[in-house]
Amino acid sequence: MSGARETRIFMISPDSMITTDVLARAVHTMADGVSVKETCYGCLAEADPEVMAGVVRKVRESYGNQVFTKRRGYPAGDPRRCRAQHGTRPGYSQLEAEWECLPLIQHALDEIDAGDEKYTAPAQRKPLPVSELKKICEESE
Amino acid sequence: MKVFIDPPNSMILFDLVERFGHEPLSSMAVIQEKVDNIEVDMPPMNVTLDDVVKGLKYAGVEVPSGIRGRLALWGPMIEAADAAIIIEDPPFSFGCVGCDRSNELTKYLLHRRGIPLLTVAYPETAEQAKTLVASVKEFLAGLGASA
Repeated sequence: MSGARETRIFMISPDSMITTDVLARAVHTMADGVSVKETCYGCLAEADPEVMAGVVRKVRESYGNQVFTKRRGYPAGDPRRCRAQHGTRPGYSQLEAEWECLPLIQHALDEIDAGDEKYTAPAQRKPLPVSELKKICEESE
Repeated sequence: MKVFIDPPNSMILFDLVERFGHEPLSSMAVIQEKVDNIEVDMPPMNVTLDDVVKGLKYAGVEVPSGIRGRLALWGPMIEAADAAIIIEDPPFSFGCVGCDRSNELTKYLLHRRGIPLLTVAYPETAEQAKTLVASVKEFLAGLGASA
């Protein structure tokens, strides 16, 4: 993998009281050499991978389960992706779908951090036995 | 440990895997490699001849080119993975939009590799979200410490 830069998306959960402005300013102060761009969902940050690892750790320490992050392939402000230059946004529907789901994940993480790790395991799907299939076929005839 | 996530561009899975101390294998890292190192117009929409050849290892020549292109990126990650987490039955806009065959083939390749695999449902309620997060945490803890 390329080690020259690491670009990160930081997305604020809709249930959080943090604003994008606060997050962008905080990320800016977390390390030297970080380039930050405020966005509608949080911010984009770019730095060396070692610096970025420190920034991610500090964001998790400061904002806990309210801010989520992932890497981004394109650099911040790349003309092929940046809306200001009419770039396409093929990953945006994915971000929107995940943004809607983040409050659920945030509260689940909060509960687990509080020590409540119990969950109901979903029923495992099993293949339909042939005898059962035959029965269904005979009934539908 | 290296954990392949499906959908490979999922922020929720990427964040959870990293939060619980492992290395997520995502499409963003391989796309970055192409953005930084290869002179093609708009990766991953544009590919090189090498990508097409690489994709043939995972999908036959009669398979649509979009699937082969996707698997040229995801296939090497599936081979490098020590474990995998799959989100099942997500809404349409979650994951690789419009290409269910790529997703099917990805799941098939993961099952064929025989690595530890966790399949979780896309959460619609608080209870389902708790199941997702807690089962991912349990699964990753069971893998041991990150290499």
